[in-house]
Amino acid sequence: MTITLSGITKTFGDFTAVHPLDLTVPEGSFFALLGASGCGKTTTLRMIAGLEEPTSGTILLGDDDITHLPPHKRPVNTVFQNYALFPHLDVSENIAFGLRRRGVKSVSKQVAEMLDLVQLGDMARRKPRQLSGGQQQRVALARALINRPQVLLLDEPLGALDLKLRRQMQLELKRIQTEVGITFVHVTHDQEEAMTMADSVAVMYGGRVEQLGPPAELYENPRSTFVANFLGTSNLIEAQVVSGATAESDELRLRTVGDDTALRLPAARCAVEGVEEGAKVLVGVRPEKISLTHTDGPDTASESVAEGAPAPAGVPAGVPEGHNRLTGRITDASYLGVSWQYLIETPACSELTVYEQNVARDSRLTPGAHVVLHWRPEHTFALDAAQDAAAGEEAI
Amino acid sequence: MSTTAPTSPRAGSHVLAAPVRWLRRNAVVLVGSAALAYLLVPNLVVLAFSFNKPAGRFNYAWRTFSTDAWTDPCGVANMCSSLGLSLRIAVLATLIATAFGTFAAFALARYRFRGKSTTNALIFLPMAMPEVVMGASLGTLFLNTRVQFGFVTILIAHVMFCLSFVVVAVKARVMSMDPRLEEAARDLYAGPFQTFCRVTLPLAAPGIAAGAMLSFALSFDDFIITQFNAGPSTVTFPMFVWGAAQRGVPVQVNVIGSAMFVLALVIVLGGQIAANRRKRV
Repeated sequence: MTITLSGITKTFGDFTAVHPLDLTVPEGSFFALLGASGCGKTTTLRMIAGLEEPTSGTILLGDDDITHLPPHKRPVNTVFQNYALFPHLDVSENIAFGLRRRGVKSVSKQVAEMLDLVQLGDMARRKPRQLSGGQQQRVALARALINRPQVLLLDEPLGALDLKLRRQMQLELKRIQTEVGITFVHVTHDQEEAMTMADSVAVMYGGRVEQLGPPAELYENPRSTFVANFLGTSNLIEAQVVSGATAESDELRLRTVGDDTALRLPAARCAVEGVEEGAKVLVGVRPEKISLTHTDGPDTASESVAEGAPAPAGVPAGVPEGHNRLTGRITDASYLGVSWQYLIETPACSELTVYEQNVARDSRLTPGAHVVLHWRPEHTFALDAAQDAAAGEEAI
Repeated sequence: MSTTAPTSPRAGSHVLAAPVRWLRRNAVVLVGSAALAYLLVPNLVVLAFSFNKPAGRFNYAWRTFSTDAWTDPCGVANMCSSLGLSLRIAVLATLIATAFGTFAAFALARYRFRGKSTTNALIFLPMAMPEVVMGASLGTLFLNTRVQFGFVTILIAHVMFCLSFVVVAVKARVMSMDPRLEEAARDLYAGPFQTFCRVTLPLAAPGIAAGAMLSFALSFDDFIITQFNAGPSTVTFPMFVWGAAQRGVPVQVNVIGSAMFVLALVIVLGGQIAANRRKRV
């Protein structure tokens, strides 16, 4: 069922945990609330569960106002952080707890079905402390799902698991969500987890939603520095607007503040409304979108760079026409297995990060080498310069 | 270590190396056993002398084995009635102190209110205060308010000092409980009452049980405070033993003492076995 939060706020004494928040979670979707600790995501979840009462605003479940309904009267169940399994009850009693409280007499068939769904059939008589973390996690999931809630809330459900198990459970959760078709609201601080599982992600920061959209949209076209840095890595370069979009072209033309290099990007990818000539912006580009070419031209030994268009004057061969270009010097190269990570010093920006696929690498790309960085204008985005360029970096 | 130096000038260290090593390895067990013996020997003496047949009125010298006292435990005038009184008071004081102490412990562990830290300190006071002072001042209070000394005054006094122990035991337990467990219960359709009965109470139970057992033992055993607040016809078991000791201790006192010891032992061992079995399943 659709959840609609309108004008929700929550204050604890002097501290405002959630600023007026409007959020709609569509029916049947896998929705993630993503943010660093203290951003208000858990408080928001707890308000939907009924464990916190909003200071103001309303929460609708479908068409019903559930704002002031106590938690045990809401058709909503939660998978808690660290699971909160009842230590004095065994696995099957834990799973049956919700059904029994609603007066269901014969629960054994449903409990057995749930144990099958989470593949814990032979653990029914174990106590929670005799289970591994992953097994406890699945019991917590079964205990919530058996009630067939309208909405399932997940509070950092995978936080206590090791990396490999977490990956496995991400796929498992996604499979179960598709199978049961219930709306999932998932709170996490792990951007990779949110992107892997969710249909839509709301990035929260300081009690507010910074940006909401499908994972690819957030990653490709972030609208704030926090989103740009919190989801993956971004290179942000200070630049000044030379000309806005015109009738003939919907491209913005810019010049970097550092070395006056011309850059272009589609107007739609600029997060600043009604940008004017001379305005300062932060130009962003993701590290994996950038290609590196040695200033002496492409490596003749490698045949990887063979694009047709001739290079403009003063630009080494192999750099395609129309690409945004910057020049710089490699300060560090590290091998990451699937890719190489380069740190590059340019006059436009003190340090840029570039990921290059680990195929047909130009052997001259070592620290000290002078290179041209180039990328397509449509991979560029622009953000308001009046915000902290490093927001969200320390949170990772 | 000493064996690594074969050229040592002290040849004797070789001979001693093995026993020293053995001693070092088993030191903890030896010291532990000694401490346990220190604790248990008095109880075993009491048990042994419950099978004695003393020559005079004093059961202090071993004469001959007999089960007379065990087959006739109430053979001494007034002893079993004093035992009954002590048990009645201990049970009632335990029930009242455990109930109120548990409420107080929840309030102190879960809520913030004005005067909380003062209350915390005052709760400790009966544990820290000398019993003589407490017993005497309570007796003075009853005397001045013209309350009839007897069963009720003893009960009030016992509830008073048992309460502190219950609060301390339950509070420690409640503070260590994960509040998310109760949230999980509420989330799973349990109303406030059901949450308390199904989750809160079972989780707090070990603390409540510890407080109750402590209360029972303290109340049953108390002499000093009881002495100040008892009436002429209310003689508790400790008071009876004290009185009897002036004239000669009957063997039956050892029987009651041994029976209490064995009963406590059975309860503790039973609890341990049950806990072990639960862990293994």
